[in-house]
Amino acid sequence: MKRSFRAIAALGVIAALAAGVSGCAAPAEEEKQITIAFVMGAESDPFFQAMKLGAEEEAAAQGVKLIWQGDPSHYDVATQVPIVDTVIAQKPDGLVLIPTDPDGLQASSDKAVAAGIAVANVDTHVTDLSKVVTFITGDNGDGGAKAADAIATKIGYTDGQTYEVVVGLTSATATTNVARLEGFKAAVASKYPGIVIKDVAYSASNPQTAASNVNNWLTKYPNLKGIFAIDGTNASGAAAALQAKNLTGKIALVGYDAYPANVDLIKQGVFTALIAQDPAAEARLAIKTLVDYIKNKKSPAARDVVIPNVTLDANTSADDLKKYTYVATK
Amino acid sequence: MTDSKQGTSLGGRIRATITEQTSLLILVMVALVIVFNVFSDGTFLSTGVFSTILTDWGALILLAVGQTLVVISGGIDLSVGSTVSLSTVVAGYVLVKVMHLDSSLKGSDAWGALLIAALVAIGTGLLVGAVNALLINFFKIVPFIATLSTFGAAAGAAIIISGGMPLQGPNDFALINPIRIPGIDPMAFDTGLLSPMVILMALVTAIVGLYLHKARFGLYTFAIGSNSFAARAAGINVPLHTAKIYLISGGLAGLGGFYAYVRLAGGSPSSGAGMELYAIAATVIGGASLMGGIGKMWGTALGTLILFTVQSGLLMAGVAPDWKQIVVALLIAAAVAVQTLQKKNGMR
Repeated sequence: MKRSFRAIAALGVIAALAAGVSGCAAPAEEEKQITIAFVMGAESDPFFQAMKLGAEEEAAAQGVKLIWQGDPSHYDVATQVPIVDTVIAQKPDGLVLIPTDPDGLQASSDKAVAAGIAVANVDTHVTDLSKVVTFITGDNGDGGAKAADAIATKIGYTDGQTYEVVVGLTSATATTNVARLEGFKAAVASKYPGIVIKDVAYSASNPQTAASNVNNWLTKYPNLKGIFAIDGTNASGAAAALQAKNLTGKIALVGYDAYPANVDLIKQGVFTALIAQDPAAEARLAIKTLVDYIKNKKSPAARDVVIPNVTLDANTSADDLKKYTYVATK
Repeated sequence: MTDSKQGTSLGGRIRATITEQTSLLILVMVALVIVFNVFSDGTFLSTGVFSTILTDWGALILLAVGQTLVVISGGIDLSVGSTVSLSTVVAGYVLVKVMHLDSSLKGSDAWGALLIAALVAIGTGLLVGAVNALLINFFKIVPFIATLSTFGAAAGAAIIISGGMPLQGPNDFALINPIRIPGIDPMAFDTGLLSPMVILMALVTAIVGLYLHKARFGLYTFAIGSNSFAARAAGINVPLHTAKIYLISGGLAGLGGFYAYVRLAGGSPSSGAGMELYAIAATVIGGASLMGGIGKMWGTALGTLILFTVQSGLLMAGVAPDWKQIVVALLIAAAVAVQTLQKKNGMR
């Protein structure tokens, strides 16, 4: 009996303390902490790992709470929709969404807006952007054009000559691959008419297949001058294939995505250049814009923001190399 | 089961080894080479193309060899592709993150490190095989589901351990580059056919092949696949033998992971992506029956070769890469059709 009295008394003291603390804290903080939910495509992708670092940095800098969610390994609309809906149920103030499908995520996006959540899109976007605060993306087409520039510089392009190049893709349907290839083709057509894109092949996400494709090209096109390896997987496979055949530096190799291992290979002369995106900057800007919108009800000057890709090569400063290299989070 | 025991005379043994399916496969192979050579304006018949085909063969063959044992025993192993990814990543992790070695260790100086990579990769593969055996024997999960679980788990673990990016480490590229054939020098970089790694894979294939067709181990494997109840009645410890088969399949896939390491100079988390289906395709094209009890190592070796001849051939002939899957699908369908016809004729 005595014991339960003591327990009730203790509870009472704790409750009083808690009330006191919150009573004191509330006026100092003025408002409750802002929560930003971030639903990305696939956790396993280095692109999103780099994005996570940027998001965490900015959330800490802004003093907001970050909910980071997404499928562990599949970039898939079927697994993303339930994740987004669960996150909306947690009633965050803002939602940064990387829709895995423009139509598939439209309903979830509208639902969030209806619930009073400010929505931003990063990398990819929903079909109807009218209710979205901001859409921030990297420019894959520009990246493809930069790759063409890098190859042209390496081979010492002069008009009137013919240069054979090939492009390693992951699949015919990966949207980033398609955008980069279009940008590459457009730059070649307008600026380097002597560059002939002889062939494309798919790696199906396997770097061993990417290496095999390069080996076959070396036999088929003995005069091959350049390879555009359009993503991280193709870059790894092509780099290994050229190194094995002692062709380092003899064929222009431009890759994509700044994996640490591949950045090291720029220094060794295996890569002529790597085109890098800046996913961390995309995430930082998205969170900053949303917080501004939620706190001050201020819309960004322009809804759509394109962050250009950058070319990393032997002339890039060590600081810049470090800045753009993807860091694995664990 | 019948094939390995049929005929003790030299002629009988040769006939047992080179059966109808095998000679058919050789015919298909020759036909493919001729067709691709015509459509590639004569560029197909070169050491460059064949060394690439053999390098690809080396990457898949051990997975197909393991799959052949599993399929003959009446099972299936969907985890082999992910096992390649996991074991190559674990090998890279040990060298790069634990031993703090990097790509500056080159040539024969890297051999010590590569030996460690090989042992770690095989060990990782054996571990996946052991989990498969446990799920199948102890928890009584059918092989399809058991290995589907380890397929997912191993792929996930490979990504977590590597952080989703390749771990570049010490390597000797000479091990994966074809050994130069004296006298043949069509191009600066196409001077040989077989690399030391491909030779190693071929030796392992031959050893497992002998084990399957000439030893009691193989006899038990065929017996279990033909009729596991009868095998048990005959005194074979079926669970123990099944466990051995999945362990071997895992260990071979682990060695396949080491191959990927040498080929890519590090552990890349998607090195084995999609390879399980290619291993099954090679096994089926080689004449093994998914019903169990039928299969040949010769067939699997040729089936794997045909798969990559098609892959390289279509590229050399300038066919759009989208057609590859369709051609492979046709090959599988044709192989199974031939099998069914042979069975029908046999019964009459």
